[in-house]
Amino acid sequence: MKFKIENGPHIKGQDSTSKIMMRLLIALMPIVCYAIFKNTILVYFATKATIIEALHPVFMILTGVLTSLISEILYIKFILKNTNTLTFKELSKSFAFIPGLFLALVLPVNTPLWLVAIGAISASIIGKMIFGGFGQNIFNPALVGYLLISSSYSVLIGNYFNLYELDTIASATPLTNLSDLSYYGTYEMVVGNYGTLFNFLSGTIPGALGEVSKILIIFAFIYLVITKTIKWKIPVLYVSTVFFMTYIIGSVAGLDMWYPVFHILSGGLLFGAVFMATDPVTSPTTSNGQILYGISLGIMTVIFRFLTSYPEGVMTSILLMNLFVPVFDKIGLKMRNNKDKNNISYILIFLLISLVVILISNNILTAKNNVNQEEVNKVKIISIEKINNKTKYVLQSKGWDEIKAEVEVIDKEIKSIIITDNSGETQWNEIEKANYIYKLIANQNNIDDLDAISGSTKTSEGLKNIVKKVKMEEK
Amino acid sequence: MLKGIRLNDMKNMSISNEIVDMSEPSNVFVPLINDNILCECITKKGRKVRKGTIIGIRKDIDFPILSPVSGTVLGIKKCLYLNDKIIDCVEIANDRLERVIKKQIVKDITSYTKEEFIDILKKCSISGMSGSDFPTYLKYECKLNTLIVNAVESEPYITSDSMLVKLKAEIILECIDAIMKINGIKKCFIAFKENNIIVKNSFLKYLDKYDNIILFPVKDVYPIGYEKYLIKLISNLDYDKKTEEVGIVMNNVTTIFAIYKALKFKRNITKRIITISGEGFTEPINVLVKIGTSMSSVIKKIGKYNGENLKIIANGPMMGNALRSDSVIATANLNGIVIIEDVNDKVMNCINCGKCLEVCPAKICPVFIMKNINDIEKLKKFKPEKCIECGLCSYICPSKIGLRDAVKSAKKKVMNK
Repeated sequence: MKFKIENGPHIKGQDSTSKIMMRLLIALMPIVCYAIFKNTILVYFATKATIIEALHPVFMILTGVLTSLISEILYIKFILKNTNTLTFKELSKSFAFIPGLFLALVLPVNTPLWLVAIGAISASIIGKMIFGGFGQNIFNPALVGYLLISSSYSVLIGNYFNLYELDTIASATPLTNLSDLSYYGTYEMVVGNYGTLFNFLSGTIPGALGEVSKILIIFAFIYLVITKTIKWKIPVLYVSTVFFMTYIIGSVAGLDMWYPVFHILSGGLLFGAVFMATDPVTSPTTSNGQILYGISLGIMTVIFRFLTSYPEGVMTSILLMNLFVPVFDKIGLKMRNNKDKNNISYILIFLLISLVVILISNNILTAKNNVNQEEVNKVKIISIEKINNKTKYVLQSKGWDEIKAEVEVIDKEIKSIIITDNSGETQWNEIEKANYIYKLIANQNNIDDLDAISGSTKTSEGLKNIVKKVKMEEK
Repeated sequence: MLKGIRLNDMKNMSISNEIVDMSEPSNVFVPLINDNILCECITKKGRKVRKGTIIGIRKDIDFPILSPVSGTVLGIKKCLYLNDKIIDCVEIANDRLERVIKKQIVKDITSYTKEEFIDILKKCSISGMSGSDFPTYLKYECKLNTLIVNAVESEPYITSDSMLVKLKAEIILECIDAIMKINGIKKCFIAFKENNIIVKNSFLKYLDKYDNIILFPVKDVYPIGYEKYLIKLISNLDYDKKTEEVGIVMNNVTTIFAIYKALKFKRNITKRIITISGEGFTEPINVLVKIGTSMSSVIKKIGKYNGENLKIIANGPMMGNALRSDSVIATANLNGIVIIEDVNDKVMNCINCGKCLEVCPAKICPVFIMKNINDIEKLKKFKPEKCIECGLCSYICPSKIGLRDAVKSAKKKVMNK
């Protein structure tokens, strides 16, 4: 009897790299299906699109997958000069179609197919094979392709609206819209155009192919964590950091919880965090490295979104941070060997967060003042009557509808406000119950601190603007 | 604290079968080795020996190698040792008369002084029986306060310790009590896996008499039976090199049984239980063999190999060595032979998943060591010398990379520098 001699251990765990990749594909399947449902089936039945037009997203995915596969085969065969059997052997270990698939999923729905093909070729060749193939690459291959085509063909890359959305929603994507608003706006201004935040969760908003259905991405995340497929610390810390920072920025500007939630559910954040940032090859190996990497991604994304002209920022942040993975791992290894050094990098990163938050808060406060000023400017003065030191204003402001009021001012102090028309305001009884008119007079010198009445915010704001307008005139 | 991994322990294969006595070989081969140090032969061809006659000696510490049978020395023969190396063995023809040098039975085994105890352990050539073969008397040479008896049996498939406990629990407890009294040890913990009911019930039957002996169930995770983690778990103490630094001595449960033989009859251990198990063998079982038996004859008598592409492993699949042949010699530190199918896993590129870092009980970084294997300065920073060679990094690796081999060679490089 002959026995095999081999170094131990002689039993191995059940999990393998192929199974990990398979689970990644399983997690992606519902997302791909939803993308096809939303951009193909729905479009075909709800608009006059032809089948070919409607099938465009399916062709995009196929183009991405096939181009990646073919370009890798050609690279192994002709540039590395391998025999047919060796090429096949290499291919079976390298999961060649993945870069193209991911690329197609982060592209806008109307991207021309030839551009998808160029992206997939560059993803596979420049992003992966040049570095030595599977496991050797520094950058996430799909993102290399994405960056290349989005920077050189930014006009051609197509817009984010499928034909159905073009009919129904006629404005920019939520993040472009926010960027146009200088990052400050009320719920109606920021979310209202697209429905509610629930639409963001379910994915009935415009966006890239695979990115929109956040709920499916969250399910995929749970599946991947339970099956121990991805490094869960990275997405958790990435998303938490964005949440934490936008929460503070939002509350400085007086915006509620919806603001950070909007940031998390918008654009490619969740998809990027779960599928791109956790790409095992291009993310840190050490536990502390992963934590720092996740936080840094969050900071970078917030910086990109608020301080540059790119409204999205997720993909660029990940690509940029890929470059620093060795640094994060170096810190992570030091911490692993020596527990005392833990604090320094965390303190540094906390300082960075504070700095960025302060900077952005400052910007957003300016934006808020501008928005408020515009609202005050909209208040119309119908007439001004001056008798001695007494002035009487008749004004028209906008609440739910028109509000008309007479304001009496003596020595620059508002003495009385008489509402002459409140017929358009449905919740007027709330205003009366709260004695809001009296409060307006009492707080006239610090009117910004006076809270609106919940349930009739618009009416309250309209009334506050009347006071502000009068105060402005008196100056 | 150690997280470990729960392995599929496969112990049911062999534990349920009755033990088979195969302890009358015609010839025995006694390897001239102790704790991986080669020993000198001090007997000659044709000389008559009895059980306990000195036939070899480890020069540096004067540790004797004793004959396990009575009979005639046939000469030196090269045989396969459990580390898959061929080494010199003394071949003795067994006359099956079981003659001893001097028949003696000590009535009260607690009557020894500590010096006498250490002396008798050395004279009877007692060494670690779980695999290490480290001379046991060396562990008792300082002041001790705690004894830990290791009945964890970390390795899958192996059940020889459990089998011994099942048969000899009473004697083992008696011996533990004696060791404690002789050495002034206050407390003893018997560590075993919480799901090992055989060990638990066997000890519980006789435990009432002994107040200071405590059963200590541990979780079924690998490698919890490793000295360092067991001591950390039981007494929350860390030590640098030797357990004696913190006043603790740890012995394998089979070693305790050998100590009993030494105290009671003043002679060496001549038989031991060995598990023969695995999917590649038709009759998984525990056998009682004479030390020095060539295992090929035992295996042939019991069952057949089952399948192609088999591997035969000495001492369990995680830390044991694959052997070139089944004619390995049964030594005191061979607790099992596992025969399993060779799963030819495709080795892939490392994907930086970080699982080896997560799982490493010594908190080193196998993948970084592997990637910097040629850079000695960098290797030093990764501290490969802390590796306990448990093999979990290779076990968990989804790309099936032989990480333990890399760390082992790095360890060698760093320690030789």
